[in-house]
Amino acid sequence: MEYILIPLLPFAAFLILGLFGHWIKDKAHLVAVPAVIVSLILSVLAFLQVAGGHHTSMPLYTWLTSGDLRIGLGISIDRLTAVMLILVTTVSSLVHIYTIGYMQGEKGYARFFAYIALFTFSMLMLVMADNFLQLFVFWEAVGLCSYLLISHWYDRPSACAAATKAFVVNRVGDFGFMLGLLLVWYSFGSLEYRHVFAQAADFAGETINLLRPFGGTWEVSTLTLMCLLLFTGAVGKSAQVPLHVWLPDAMEGPTPISALIHAATMVTAGVFMVARLHPLYNLSPMAMDVVAITGAATMLLGATIALTQTDIKRVVAYSTVSQLGYMMMACGLGAYAAGIYHLLTHGAFKALLFLGCGSVIIALHHEQDMRHMGGLKDKLPVTYWTFVIGSLALAGFPLTAGFFSKDELLVSAWSSGSLGQILTVFGLLTALMTAFYSFRLVFVTFWGIHRGKAHRHEQGHSGAHDIHEPSPTITVPLLVLSVLSIAAGYFGIFEFLAPALPGPAAHEAGGHHGPAATVIMVLATLMGLSGIAAAYYVYVKSPGLPDRLAQQWQQLYRLSLNKWFVDEAYDRTIIRPTFTLADQLWKRVDVAVIDGAVNGVARGIAWWGWLLRLFQSGQTQHYALGMTLGAVLILGVYLLWL
Amino acid sequence: MTIPLSDLVAILPELIVIGAACLVLALDPLTPPSRKDWLAWFSVAALAVCAHLTMSRMGASVSAFSDLVILDPFSGFWKLLLYGVTGFTILLSLPYLKAERIHLGEYYGFILLSLSGMMVMVSAADLLTIYLGMELMSLSLYVLAGFKRFEARSLEAAAKYFVLGAFSSGMLLYGISLLYGASGSTRLSAIAAAVSARGLDDPMLALAMILLTVGFGFKIAAVPFHMWTPDVYEGSPTSVTAFMAVASKAASFAAFLRVFLEGLGGLKANWYALFLILCLATLALGNLVAIVQTNIKRMLAYSSIANAGYALIGAVVAGYVPASRDAQTFGLSSVMLYLAIYAFMTLGAFAVIAMLRKNGVEGDEIEDYAGLAKRQPVAAFLMLAFMASLAGIPPTAGFIGKFYLFMAAVKADLAWLAVVGVLFAAVSAYYYLRVVMVMYMREPETAGAESRLVTSPTLAVALACAFAGVLVFGLYPNPLVSFATQAVLALR
Amino acid sequence: MSDVALQTGGFPWLTTVVFLPLAGAFLLMLVNKTAHHTIRWIALAVSLFDLMLSLPLWSLFDPSTPRMQFVEHVAWMISPPITYSVGVDGISLPLLLLTTFLTPFCVLCSWRAIETRVKEFMAVLLIMETAMLGVFVALDFVLFYIFWEAMLIPMYLLIGVWGGPNRLYAAVKFFLYTLVGSVLLLIAILVLFFQGGQTFDILLLSRVEYAPALQSWLFWAFFAAFAVKVPMWPFHTWLPDAHVEAPTAGSVLLASVLLKMGAYGFLRFSLPMLPDATAAFTPIMVTLSLIAIIYGAYMALAQADLKKLIAYSSVSHMGFVTLGIFVLNAQGIEGAILQMVNHGITTGALFLCVGAIYERTHSRMIADNTGLANPMPRYATVLVIFTLSSLGLPGTNSFVGEFLVLVGAFFWSKWIAAVASLGIILAAAYLLWMLQRVAFGVPNAAHASHLHDLNLREMMTMAPLVVLVFWIGFYPNPLLVKMHASVNDLIEHVDVGELEAAQRGSRDAREMRERRETQVAPVALVPPVALKANNE
Repeated sequence: MEYILIPLLPFAAFLILGLFGHWIKDKAHLVAVPAVIVSLILSVLAFLQVAGGHHTSMPLYTWLTSGDLRIGLGISIDRLTAVMLILVTTVSSLVHIYTIGYMQGEKGYARFFAYIALFTFSMLMLVMADNFLQLFVFWEAVGLCSYLLISHWYDRPSACAAATKAFVVNRVGDFGFMLGLLLVWYSFGSLEYRHVFAQAADFAGETINLLRPFGGTWEVSTLTLMCLLLFTGAVGKSAQVPLHVWLPDAMEGPTPISALIHAATMVTAGVFMVARLHPLYNLSPMAMDVVAITGAATMLLGATIALTQTDIKRVVAYSTVSQLGYMMMACGLGAYAAGIYHLLTHGAFKALLFLGCGSVIIALHHEQDMRHMGGLKDKLPVTYWTFVIGSLALAGFPLTAGFFSKDELLVSAWSSGSLGQILTVFGLLTALMTAFYSFRLVFVTFWGIHRGKAHRHEQGHSGAHDIHEPSPTITVPLLVLSVLSIAAGYFGIFEFLAPALPGPAAHEAGGHHGPAATVIMVLATLMGLSGIAAAYYVYVKSPGLPDRLAQQWQQLYRLSLNKWFVDEAYDRTIIRPTFTLADQLWKRVDVAVIDGAVNGVARGIAWWGWLLRLFQSGQTQHYALGMTLGAVLILGVYLLWL
Repeated sequence: MTIPLSDLVAILPELIVIGAACLVLALDPLTPPSRKDWLAWFSVAALAVCAHLTMSRMGASVSAFSDLVILDPFSGFWKLLLYGVTGFTILLSLPYLKAERIHLGEYYGFILLSLSGMMVMVSAADLLTIYLGMELMSLSLYVLAGFKRFEARSLEAAAKYFVLGAFSSGMLLYGISLLYGASGSTRLSAIAAAVSARGLDDPMLALAMILLTVGFGFKIAAVPFHMWTPDVYEGSPTSVTAFMAVASKAASFAAFLRVFLEGLGGLKANWYALFLILCLATLALGNLVAIVQTNIKRMLAYSSIANAGYALIGAVVAGYVPASRDAQTFGLSSVMLYLAIYAFMTLGAFAVIAMLRKNGVEGDEIEDYAGLAKRQPVAAFLMLAFMASLAGIPPTAGFIGKFYLFMAAVKADLAWLAVVGVLFAAVSAYYYLRVVMVMYMREPETAGAESRLVTSPTLAVALACAFAGVLVFGLYPNPLVSFATQAVLALR
Repeated sequence: MSDVALQTGGFPWLTTVVFLPLAGAFLLMLVNKTAHHTIRWIALAVSLFDLMLSLPLWSLFDPSTPRMQFVEHVAWMISPPITYSVGVDGISLPLLLLTTFLTPFCVLCSWRAIETRVKEFMAVLLIMETAMLGVFVALDFVLFYIFWEAMLIPMYLLIGVWGGPNRLYAAVKFFLYTLVGSVLLLIAILVLFFQGGQTFDILLLSRVEYAPALQSWLFWAFFAAFAVKVPMWPFHTWLPDAHVEAPTAGSVLLASVLLKMGAYGFLRFSLPMLPDATAAFTPIMVTLSLIAIIYGAYMALAQADLKKLIAYSSVSHMGFVTLGIFVLNAQGIEGAILQMVNHGITTGALFLCVGAIYERTHSRMIADNTGLANPMPRYATVLVIFTLSSLGLPGTNSFVGEFLVLVGAFFWSKWIAAVASLGIILAAAYLLWMLQRVAFGVPNAAHASHLHDLNLREMMTMAPLVVLVFWIGFYPNPLLVKMHASVNDLIEHVDVGELEAAQRGSRDAREMRERRETQVAPVALVPPVALKANNE
């Protein structure tokens, strides 16, 4: 059936570009773009069909069999998948188009297209997966693409370091994912969603004694353990605390990548996974609380850091971390639909923001520091207005997509019980910060006067003159996305998803339209507006205030500026110790002890040879004596013992 | 008194060899120096005749001179082996002696004389006859050891060998006399009877046994009676070394086994332990000291000591009473098999050594082999094969030899002894492979002083035989195995 | 068994495959030693022809039976009865093909690298192949031992003659270390002969019940031989030296085939012949494997020499293999076999990569070979692919093997699986760090002039391996299907009671299973035979 083409077309594009890229060179987009567009169209068809109530699922082939383990590759499209398909293909197509302009004349043009095509394929397979292992396989595959794309400019050491970091950190998460996977198979004897979900309920009471091998007893609920292990995978992929450290560094990659992978699609895979596995999570309240709290923590951390960053992309990156926190929190509170809804709108406006950053960066010849920007709103009108729309959506300004989704999210969070209500408060707080930093970004970048003069190097004259709107291939996607950033709120996607992603039975109480809902809506809106106002006051009305604030709250300021020193902490506690340990083990144990023993034995044997040789004096009488003594000795032995 | 013809016929091969020896000695002055080869060919012809005679009489077991001499498959096996070894030595000696400029006719005479001594040893059923043969063998060897008379090392070797040899045969003789005192006869059969009569714990028998052990242990170079070996092997002309290392060891082993199995068979429970001590000591010392040698002849001397140790494993099994009779026989045949195979590889190695010339003179330092593989791949490869075989790496004959020995040990529930054996075999791999390493992986230290192998048709033939033996018996030992098995079945 | 052999029309298939390379070596003897090109071409032709000959085995092999196939029996030695008998089953077939498959690459990668004594080199290479193939097909224990030992001398020469600066030490170390290990095996074989009814026939010996005490002795004797070859921690220290000094072809054979012999030994002898001892000592073996996984990874993290790094990574990867073998269940063992093949392909390929760069810069130091992506894009691509395969990225071959091993291990104990997976994280760490320095970054100016990209021949050597990496990665099932019958048979050999003991901790899982069987249609429980039906 044709839906298999949705992933296969990008894959085909990847193969062509991968194999013949160095002949195709700068015609690469002619291969990639059509492929993605077609799969976009197909996704829309798929969506409509699902909307029509037809869930499609088809096995592709048996991947491996061993003992009673049997795993196939297959695709299944239900509502959740359909929505994700739309998101992925849309953003991907736009980014493909955007890339034409952005990567113009780059050395790795074809390679770049090959990789994003591969990424699109992997991401699509991930969302279409019908079993855990397929999910995991493409989970790692998208990680690989992210790795390859972050290190796209491989002659920048920082880029390569970032890529390695991203991969290894994700591996740490996937470590848990893998164990969770094994536990699923171990308990359910199958890795297919349908079988697992079908039996999930019977396992509610099951427990595992984790300390059996050590003779102890520590009974934990199988399902909780399972969910938590799987969740560590999500923590890594969706940059949740404490594994969020890779995402900001990932901004070393070209901006289209940041938009596609590190904002709209890949990083949301974690959220997607939790939503996809909701039948399991729903059965384990404890796991869900962990998810929710992790999400909330991430949300706050991301926002606080975003407040002070000066690299334009890093601000957006931390805002992404924060928004992912939102979604994760929602899922943790059983508001899967709201989470995915926000995921979708966020995909639109965050991609928009990143692409906007990209266009600014291009215009400023790869200048990324906000402090050297400003006054761009006249020079880059399209970029500016689209960027404002994006920021409004991010800030949850009324009638933008962000407004609807964030509102849904907070409302359902509130309605999900006591923990939910506590977290909702944090959510509102974050909304305030979000609005603040996003408009800080807008004001500092586009308003005021251009501060890049002294900095611009190539030409002697003021850099302000050669700043102009980039090519349409860049601006068109911006426009489309800005439209989506508003329109996405009006498709009733939440209502479409809600029945497919039921929360835990308990949470259904407290409908979405009680008085509380209204209050929260108002509050959220107020937060957004006041955040924008504050930003306006601080960065436009009273120049110099930022520095004074920084002076005033020095500790907090430094904490936020240095991202809570998380990287430093990891470096001290994990990375450097590991390398030292490795080095010491090698020198002190492997070479000195183990190999030393081996050589020692050899030397010992040789030493005996040398010793015994001393008897060989060369003197005949000694020899005769030796013989006699030998005879006597034997006689003695004989008489004594035999 | 007249000697019955049948007896003379029985020892016809010995007579032929002795006759040939005398003839060679007599003809030597008459043959011009350029024609000395003829003497060699003549001796080889004599050997061929004897070989044919012996083979034609295999199977039957005849005793002659009122049981002084016995012709059984056991002796037949050893005799054939000895013919082969002697023939090989002669082939090897032809080019070697010329190269050393000591190509004298009497050499072959003495070789044949010593061979005749060995033949007497292996087919003697009487202690004095054995002693006679042994002396005949040894005296000729003393002479041969000093054959490079203008070389100090050679003369020293001869002297040492002579003195110590005399000493050891003194001990042997003393042991014989004790046995005679105990049993009133020197016939093995009579002694066996006496032993079974007197019982195990008779100090006189014990002392005699030990003295015999000393005597034979000296000849087979078993620790602690081995000390002469390195010096003598190093000093003697290489062809003689080869002859000593193989022929005299084999003959002595044959007599040794016969005496202890037929004569002192009743004392197995006692001499088994004796052999065990000897065996372990020999294995250990031979292998360990060989590691630190730099002269290849000395190294091979210690290797021949070590190999005596391996052979002794079989002897131990043969004397291990708790083991089944079957196992004991197996042990015995494995000794014979091992020594036969040992002959091929050791002779091969010595042949290479003998003909390796370092600017004119014999190059017998291991270092002299540096880079040989580059200059003479074939020679190096042959040496590689012999070394691998000595180390017991399959698919060479050396592996088969050790395989049967250890198998015998395991069969007799002496697995631990086999373990000791294999561990020392692993140790031995080190020094054998060092030669390979030097040949293949080293360049000569001093340029110009390149050593190379002086080849000649006869040498080629000799090497070919040795290599063929090492390879063929490595892949298809059946004939040898069945031969050895039948040979021991006839014993007792 | 003969009826199974008949399906090949009685043609002595295995014998031909095994001894063809030897014949090729003899053929080389006749060639003039200076005609380097002829020699190379002959060697290549012979190895390729051997590959061609071995491929039909794959298609003719009947995966439905655990019995030996293509069997040949010839009486060889009398008293004791040693027979020349060969055959393959689902366990040895993949390894056999791996060997025939890799040898041509060893010839190709030595095309330019070996300029001295080419004739001897190629001859030794081919002799090696015969010995290695023999090990995998031998059905007589002595025959096995002969091949097993016969391979030492060629490898010794390979390392010692064509190796690097410290080659003498490495060669002797390799030889003695492995020899000491295997001599004890010889004694064990002899003991088995007398305890197992006066035969060396591996299949017959596997049917005998040995006394537990005896079993444990034999087990450790086997262990001495096999653990050194694998190598299991702490008997691994010969490996880095040997790898570093050996020429590329040597490293490839060493990593890809020789190491497998040890693991194969465990599968072919320890498990079926000594089930009680195996079950009894499993905890020790598993522990050693875990140590190897983690420890090897740490060692690799500390290396500055590419070959050393890969060598230690081999220790880590082989840890997975032994782990899979000794968790004694289908997934573990099949994973282990698959992992052997994978490791053969991937690590072999990595050594080819190192060899290629060594030919250019004459250095194996990471510091000297940096930033290769710019001057050598093609090289960087293959390097990245093989590195990713080595760190077990899903979609590449290694993942499948490691996953299966982990599944098996998880059944044995969840903690074991957890610790083993740590090894995967570390693998990512040291391999990507290596990649970050070698492939990416700025080229080392000193060597810039030599850094020309892979030529056609080198691409030819790399390409098939790349294909295999992905083929096994995406469709491993055909391979696994060939193993099912033999592996299930092997597991039944290992006493079932012990097996349950080995699967400690799966009690709760078992009762879950029982409950489930009454519930959903258990797709996952279709017996292998039925599976085959819809995979063929």
